[in-house]
Amino acid sequence: MTWVLWRQYRVTAAIAGAILAAFAVLLLVTGLQDAARWHAALVTCAKDGTCGNLSQTVSLGSGPLNTLAVLTLAVPLVFGMFWGGPAVARERETGTMQFAWTQSVTRRHWLSVKAAWLLLAAAVFGGAVAGIVTWWYAPVNALHHGQFAPGYFDIQGIVPIGYAVFAVALGIAAGTLIGRSLPALAVTAGVFLAVRLVITYVVRVHYLPAVTTIYSVTRNFTPKGAYWPLTQGVVLPGGQFSTSLIVAPGVIQGFGTVPASCPASSAVPIGSTLACMARLGYRSFATYQPGYRFWPFQFMETGIFVALAAALIGVTFLVVLRRDA
Amino acid sequence: MTGVIETSGLTKRYRRVTALSDCTISVPQGRISGLVGENGAGKTTLLRLLAGLAAPTEGRATVLGGAPRQDLAYLAEIGFLAQEIPLYRRLTAQEHIGFGAHLNPRWDGESVRARLAGLKIPLDRPVGALSGGQRAQVALALTLAKRPALLLLDEPLAALDPLARRDFLAALAEAVAAKGDSEEGVERAWGGGRGAGGGLTVLLSSHLIADIERVCDHLILLAGSRVQLCGDIDTLLAQHRVLTGPHKDTTAIARTHAIVREDSTARQTTLLVKLNGPVTDPAWAVEEANLEEIVLGYMSQDSPGHSAGPQTARLSAVGGER
Repeated sequence: MTWVLWRQYRVTAAIAGAILAAFAVLLLVTGLQDAARWHAALVTCAKDGTCGNLSQTVSLGSGPLNTLAVLTLAVPLVFGMFWGGPAVARERETGTMQFAWTQSVTRRHWLSVKAAWLLLAAAVFGGAVAGIVTWWYAPVNALHHGQFAPGYFDIQGIVPIGYAVFAVALGIAAGTLIGRSLPALAVTAGVFLAVRLVITYVVRVHYLPAVTTIYSVTRNFTPKGAYWPLTQGVVLPGGQFSTSLIVAPGVIQGFGTVPASCPASSAVPIGSTLACMARLGYRSFATYQPGYRFWPFQFMETGIFVALAAALIGVTFLVVLRRDA
Repeated sequence: MTGVIETSGLTKRYRRVTALSDCTISVPQGRISGLVGENGAGKTTLLRLLAGLAAPTEGRATVLGGAPRQDLAYLAEIGFLAQEIPLYRRLTAQEHIGFGAHLNPRWDGESVRARLAGLKIPLDRPVGALSGGQRAQVALALTLAKRPALLLLDEPLAALDPLARRDFLAALAEAVAAKGDSEEGVERAWGGGRGAGGGLTVLLSSHLIADIERVCDHLILLAGSRVQLCGDIDTLLAQHRVLTGPHKDTTAIARTHAIVREDSTARQTTLLVKLNGPVTDPAWAVEEANLEEIVLGYMSQDSPGHSAGPQTARLSAVGGER
């Protein structure tokens, strides 16, 4: 069965391999250049003592290659649509399923081997792309600590492997249930995007309870490392949290909600307004996911997508074993 | 005796359409059995049920001693060729041979190469680039190379030219004869205790009655999703007669014999009857019926309990061959 699959998919595998190689070379060359610039900047700033505002003096992680790296968000979907979707549906459409299933091979074996190789290929290719992107982003991450933010979290580390495995499983399941490739591609795309968006913007933040830090309105607070900022605002003297007023040294957002007893206008220095608020019992708060949770979140999210993939493959087995060819 | 194929009450419904109803047949071992019937009569459905590609809604099929099932021992004994000749269009015949070699315990790839070489069909071109007839030949050769005990062929002749058809039927007859006489394949799981060993049995559907007549010795006729006839062709020929006589009342004939079909003109009446003893009334001229007359007679017959109207409706409702 493995030999058979290799014959069926070797062209696809070669194309995917070639694209991956081109992508790797492109990012390798520019990644090395970025790394060199990053190190040079570090050396310079260490000499000048200007490392504090490095992110203003060095420009990394922008330009067309950054766009390319961000576009790898779509890689799992492409696998799902073009590897997963037709895997069973195409054999049904063209009738070759009848040929395959009347050789001396059970449906269970046929599907096991086919699904296993496709999922493995998705994991390997998805993992390779993610590995290259993660490496490429290392200087950018060191500079901007942006890897926990939605969108950047999703193309680095191990989650892209989970997405790729899920997308291919989804494609296989959709193709099996629908029985025709083209609608299966559309359904795969729709469901994949919906699940990804919901998990990214609704579910992910709840993997672990967010951390809230309360600090003086007259001070700045930045969590360590690549934290994921969620909300910030002020704690009113009564203890309520308000996000309509955000203050920091030199900054007041939401002038209208500054307490009337503290003068606030362009004529009054911000520092004295803040000092007044501090005396009244106002404090700042920030809610965020700390940077050290990047990897725990990566593992949890990967686990969720792998579990979803397993469920979809389970459904596929039920259908393939029961439904007529 | 127990046949290689035994079905009882086999029924397959697809949503609102009944593709096959209450099909009870028996196909003896070592025969070439012809499956005939108009489009939508249920031929493809029956073959797919026997191959294990579809599951019956009701009833039971016993093939090679057990129900069609998903296990290697069963699948290894079944050779199935679907009507639409499904092959992987981008793969070559050579790759299909490898396909079979990797998926089957017995595999005679050499026979495919020899057959295709004889037909001058290139092994190294994608089968999608071959003509329809060539593709059919490739698919047939692949089906035979599996060396099954039972061949289920759905319209294998449809895509072939007359010469190729004749050659194929000859090869088929030869394969059945060879397997019947000899050896290999004796050690089949299902046939181990069956003395003479595992002779090849073939069930093939076709529209071409002349071809059926040339090679088959057993016939199954489906009409309106039901079995109308199932038996040895010799027996069927012996049982049926065409009676021609002046236009007259047929009730006397119907009292003894079964009238399959009646055609009347103003001057004379022609009957196809299934005999139940000799025809004694000298008013009728009795002639032997040929296979085509019998088949057409049963095909055009209204099945019991149905007027022409509903049956026509049912046949058109079945639509495709599934």
